[in-house]
Amino acid sequence: MSRRKLFTILSYSVLLILLIILPLLLGKEAYALHVLIMIGINIILVSSLRLIAATGQLSLCHIGMMCLGAYGSALLVVKAGISTWLALPIAGLIAMSAASIIGYPFTRLKGIYFAMATVFVAEVIRLVANQWRSLTGGMGGIIGIPRPDPIIIDGLMNVDFSSKTDFYYFILILVVVILLILYGIESSPISMTFWSVQQDEKLAQSLGINTTMHRILAFSIGSFFAGIAGAFYSHYVMSINPDTFSFLLIINVVVYAMVGGMRNFSGPILGAFVLTLVPELFSELKQFMPFVFAAVLILVMFFLPEGLVSLPKVFKKFTKKRLKYV
Amino acid sequence: VSASVLMQGVVNGLMSGWIYILVALGLNLLMSIMGIVQLAHGEIYMIGAYIAYFICVWAGLNFFLAIFISTLLMGGLGIILERVLFRPFRGQVEAALVISMGLILLLQTPIVVTYGSSAFSIPSPFHGVLTISGIRISWDRVMVIFLSIALTAAFFFFIQGTKIGRAMVAASQDREVATLMGISVDYVSAIAMFLGSAMAAAAGALVGSIFSLTPFMGSFAIMKGIAVIILGGMGSISGAIIGGLILGFVDGFVPIFLSTQIANIIGLILIILILLIRPQGLLGHE
Repeated sequence: MSRRKLFTILSYSVLLILLIILPLLLGKEAYALHVLIMIGINIILVSSLRLIAATGQLSLCHIGMMCLGAYGSALLVVKAGISTWLALPIAGLIAMSAASIIGYPFTRLKGIYFAMATVFVAEVIRLVANQWRSLTGGMGGIIGIPRPDPIIIDGLMNVDFSSKTDFYYFILILVVVILLILYGIESSPISMTFWSVQQDEKLAQSLGINTTMHRILAFSIGSFFAGIAGAFYSHYVMSINPDTFSFLLIINVVVYAMVGGMRNFSGPILGAFVLTLVPELFSELKQFMPFVFAAVLILVMFFLPEGLVSLPKVFKKFTKKRLKYV
Repeated sequence: VSASVLMQGVVNGLMSGWIYILVALGLNLLMSIMGIVQLAHGEIYMIGAYIAYFICVWAGLNFFLAIFISTLLMGGLGIILERVLFRPFRGQVEAALVISMGLILLLQTPIVVTYGSSAFSIPSPFHGVLTISGIRISWDRVMVIFLSIALTAAFFFFIQGTKIGRAMVAASQDREVATLMGISVDYVSAIAMFLGSAMAAAAGALVGSIFSLTPFMGSFAIMKGIAVIILGGMGSISGAIIGGLILGFVDGFVPIFLSTQIANIIGLILIILILLIRPQGLLGHE
């Protein structure tokens, strides 16, 4: 194992240990934990969005898929009374099957048309949730969604999800597992196939790649994780309504990914982290908060076109230029 | 359902349809010439309505003069925005999406903070109802329809008849070749942004004379505008008119039998279906 690889693994383990002991430093009910949990949800959303974008499809119904997952899981638990631990993967599967059903006809649409058609899918999902009062509760949504079922192993563990700390560890595990899966996909040969579909679909077809199948595959896997994020969200806030999954939120997810940088695996993660944190850090300036947020977006796009991850590179280039003159 | 109610549906459908067309034409121009989706177009529509209200009510000027000044001001703002924010991102859809998201926040927040809680409505110069053989139609809606048609016609003749208009068509077809033919794409983009923003402001002011103003009216307008473009086909004026009228009639008629929300759902499903049959829109090109 090279020294560089060892160093990377070591720094990630240090980061993980820091994240594990963080609740002990912050206290059991700290507001900071809530912020971290929201960051976790956003990281799942943007990273899975990046997987779909790898095949050249800008999916703007990611929040719609999250909405499906959230409603699916909440209804399964509230109305059908099944265990939350079963409802979570089922919610992911609901989003995944919805994505594969609409994914097939949508592969005919290219570029901006795909993006726009998916916006409408998200709107349809939201409006149906708003309208189908007998099932979804209409405008008021679903309230009193139960917490995840407690995990009790005698003498070893007693997690009943009554505090934020429990939810924090839950989302931490979820994020780590999902990121590992996505990273696995990223470093496997299939990611090369995804990129080739993005770069030149006709050329990829000539090499015998089933581009339609790969585009649907990426769309479905990405939507699966969005559904999981939605299910977690519904059991965490314990009440959902259609307005939670509005048009602005759809754009927000794309903004997180773009500001972080779509090219690198870590880009969207960084973007979600920074842009979820910024509004919280400046919460005293509540009135001016949107201006700060807007300024961050515009400045990043102008000066770091490849996103926040390219900051060290740009900085290095900048100092090198300076040193030359000195 | 009586004839009078059906007639109301026709009038409402025409009115919303032509408003959607005004929004969509400007958005379409920016999409095809600059290659971006200007999501803050809805916010320009909203601010145009507010400015028209202030000129009309606080300064006490004539309704038409108020709309005229408001369109000029927003057109000017459009030119500034094009120069400062959008020119570096011409042809980059995702980057322009982020920029326009920032712009939405910059334009919307001041209005939310200052006038968010007050319900304004621009007083229409026309009152009363028009009665044709027992069917009653309110005059102010008829006025909105006629003004929108007039604006659309003016836009059509500008694009088809003038030299700048032809240059715009050329730039929308191929920016590089247009540059080789001596067309300044910068100049054409600035004019496009002026026209688009001015039409959006006019549409907002017209809507404001029927319904009340809210800081969030823009997101409704942008959704409808995008829907019309996708339905009609990108870069096509007649496509936008047909698409706008289809959506307008869905929104005008369906609420008579069902509800407004269901009208929205039907409209969106209609678009998705048409997209699947004709991915380039009704009158669009490949």
